[in-house]
Amino acid sequence: MPKAQNNPTASQNLSAGSEFWAGVREEVPLIFGVAPFGLVFGVLGIESGLSPWQTILMSSILFGGASQIVFAQLWAAGVPALIVGGSVCVINLRHVLYSASIAAYLRHLPLRWRILLGYLLTDEAYAISIRRLQHEPPGPNQHFHLLGSGMLLWVSWQFATIFGVLVGGTIPDSWSLSFAIPLTFIAVVAPILKTRADLAAVITAGTIAIIGQPLPWNSWLIIAAIGGILAGWLVSRLNHQAGATS
Amino acid sequence: MIWFIMIATGLFTFATRFIMLSNGISNRPPLWLVDALGFVPIAVLTAIIVPAILVDPADQTIALWDNPRLFAAALAIIAALVTRQMITTIGVGLVALWILQWAM
Repeated sequence: MPKAQNNPTASQNLSAGSEFWAGVREEVPLIFGVAPFGLVFGVLGIESGLSPWQTILMSSILFGGASQIVFAQLWAAGVPALIVGGSVCVINLRHVLYSASIAAYLRHLPLRWRILLGYLLTDEAYAISIRRLQHEPPGPNQHFHLLGSGMLLWVSWQFATIFGVLVGGTIPDSWSLSFAIPLTFIAVVAPILKTRADLAAVITAGTIAIIGQPLPWNSWLIIAAIGGILAGWLVSRLNHQAGATS
Repeated sequence: MIWFIMIATGLFTFATRFIMLSNGISNRPPLWLVDALGFVPIAVLTAIIVPAILVDPADQTIALWDNPRLFAAALAIIAALVTRQMITTIGVGLVALWILQWAM
């Protein structure tokens, strides 16, 4: 399919195939982070007492790494369903931002396309395809770029989960593989901390998460998350005001 | 029950991704909401990271000095800041933990 050897800077009318494969190619480096993450989820899902089918299908139904990990951990801890659901929902609220930022490029598409691309709109696919949409000349097939990045991510996530489910039982506890989860999140969070508001969010969320440990049903997670969001938001507001008045 | 929650949260998650692509909603979300949502990943992930490092999985107590995970995580944070690569960060943290568990 990718026979077209178009020069991307010269042509604005890339074929659907070249847009699609460009999305796939540009997504590849991110797979090195996503694959171990999916593997860990597969292992953890089984350890948490989910059945293999529940673990594997969760990767299609939720299709959001952090929220799946939290789902499995809270479920294993015997947390009431409402708290599990609420925690997962708060974690996934961030997608509204991606959806808002990419809407201008996709809204003219037929409904079935918007449903498909909405389903594929993960952190990693968004990060890659928004660059093409914002910084390269628009084209009639530009949505195929998101289809490519999103589908590579989806396929990798499913395979990594299945692999984790299959090998999970054979990995000894002494490897402390579940420690890969906080490490994965450290790799996401540490490089994006830039402002004082970000730091306020981190310190508040971390402190509440520790102080709140005795709270029932692991509800410290959702309380710490909301506390961190509020703290970051308040500090950024104060900074804006200070900047506006000084 | 687990299937019900999985499907309900799955539908909610899809809604968060699709909502602004739907024709029913023509406006961008208000700026204060965009600002607040920008802190969701940092806050949520920190709330997962910190107890995973500090709370001892064996007895659920908070461990500081006698805690190999804390030192491994500190090295991983440095690796994340320097390399900005997920695979390196995970590798540094896990290897550090293995060495520390073996040594301590």
